[in-house]
Order: sequence, then structure tokens, then C-alpha cells
Amino acid sequence: MIYVTVGTHYLGFERLIKKMDEIAGKIDEEVIAQIGSTKYKPKNMKYFKFIKEEEKILELYKKARIVLSHSGVGTILTVLNYGKPLVIVPRLKKFNEHIDDHQIELAEMLKNEEGVQVVYDTDKLEHSLNNAKPRKFKKSIKNKNLVNFLKNYIMVIENENMHGDINTISS
Amino acid sequence: MKIALICSQGGHLIEMLCLIEAFKRQDLFFITYKNPTTEQLEYKRYLIENIGTSLSKMIKTFFQTFSILKKEKPDLIVSTGAEIAIPFYITAKLMRINTIYIESWCRVKTKSGTGRILYYISNVFLVQWPNMAKKYGKKAEYHGAVI
Repeated sequence: MIYVTVGTHYLGFERLIKKMDEIAGKIDEEVIAQIGSTKYKPKNMKYFKFIKEEEKILELYKKARIVLSHSGVGTILTVLNYGKPLVIVPRLKKFNEHIDDHQIELAEMLKNEEGVQVVYDTDKLEHSLNNAKPRKFKKSIKNKNLVNFLKNYIMVIENENMHGDINTISS
Repeated sequence: MKIALICSQGGHLIEMLCLIEAFKRQDLFFITYKNPTTEQLEYKRYLIENIGTSLSKMIKTFFQTFSILKKEKPDLIVSTGAEIAIPFYITAKLMRINTIYIESWCRVKTKSGTGRILYYISNVFLVQWPNMAKKYGKKAEYHGAVI
């Protein structure tokens, strides 16, 4: 199964969904697409706009042979945990798919990772899907530095608040 | 301590959930956009209408910021973006509430529109790539990323 996901942005991603629908009509493999705000209604693949339950979304990631997605942080953070082949198509401003072109930045940072492919020209999408290889690269979301920094900052404010209270009482 | 976590749905929310361990012991609540995915959020939450790039919706949200922040009186506000944070941080500044802004992991090379504004308003400004700290200036700090 190929899982296609374009996230929750208020702008749709017509270019990707249309192209993938066209490809889905030619191949035997099942394609399931999360189309978000995209207006185009796919004819050759199962689709839905959003899923409320997080477990159901994770189930789709687990079942997928390949994940095809926009260059969104949520999808990428999730896929990196599952070790699935990932094909990324960044949303571009010129097609009114996002408010700017920042999706290119993360895609470019990840394009050399094993099992990650970045596609700008959707005519090359079919080729990339055929070439998708499983990834050995598996990063876990466990970098504690940022969490620890926040914890410490909160502790400092808690202490200040406490001393503030003591000062108020003593005055 | 009471903490408000502010973010839009999608990636910004997932980034916040990656950091949730830092806030778990506190009395926390979310302020996020109304969306099928945020209605299921298992934390106390305020769901507001998506602002996007609409100025009139931004102004409308301003009025909501006062009522929410006055009612909840958080000691700290943390946001992972995006524009939903702008009206709340301006109000927080007036109310002298402590704020931390965390620029999204997806900002590798260029500043976000929200980051450009909140760099001047937030008490602490964090970025998730070392180069972005240089790009923003002195106030920006890098202490690792969500991953």
C-alpha cells in the first residue's frame, strides 16, 4: 500500500493528489490518500480529508510500503520513526500550495538520507515510487537537550515566583 | 505553575507533543486551531478559528486573546508556531507574561514570518538549527531540536 499524505494546511495540494490519482489508475497496488484541504476528488484511490483519531493515522503509516508526502514536519517526524521509504514533494508557493517555499529547506536537508527521495517535478513521481527502497536510517525522537532546557527554564521561573511570594509576605 | 501551549494543528502541534515531557508536571492547557485533529487532543484546550494570512481574522483573534489570557492567567506561554502565536504574544507582552518561542524544525535556512515578529516580542527565542541562531541574531538560542 502507498500512503499519501499532504497534512492539515488550509491550502490544498492539487498537483500531488492529481498526479498520484493518475498513477493509481495505472498500478495494481492499493493507494490511500489523506488529501486535507485539496479540492480535487480522486477517482482511482481511496481518500479522506482528515482523521480524528491519531491511532488510525499511525496504523496507515505502519501498513504502508511507501509514504508519499508533502515536506511537512509532522509527517516527516512520524515517518522517521517507522523506517519506511519516503518520497517527499515540497509544496511550492508558485502553485499556491503554501504561503512561501520553506518546505524546500527541510526536503533538501533530508534528501541524502537513505531511503528518502525528493521530487520537484511530479512527472518524475512514478519513477521515484518505483525506485523507493527501505530505509535503514532510523532516528528516534529522543533528543533530550531541548526538553531539558525547557525544564530548567521552568524551574527558574518557579523559583522566582516562590521568592516573589516570600517577599510579598515579608513586606 | 500554569503554562499555555500555543500552536497551529499539524506539524507545529506534533513538535509541541515531542516536547510535552518538559511541561507534564505543570498545570497546562493548549490554544490551537479548530480542526478535526485538534478536537481529539487529550489536554484542556481552547480551539480558535484559523487565521492564515487574513488580517481581519488576526484582529478578531486579538479580542479573544485578552479574554483567554485574563481568565487563565498563565505564568508562561510556549509556542512552536505558527501565526496563531502573534496576537497572544503581543497581549502577553502587555500583561507581562513570560514567553518562549520555538522556531519550527522545518526552518533550516530562512526565517518564518512569525519568527521575524516574535523575535522582538518573546522573552526567550529558540531555533532548532545552529545556523538559524546566527541568522536571527544575538537573542536567538540553539539548544537542540525536537529530533
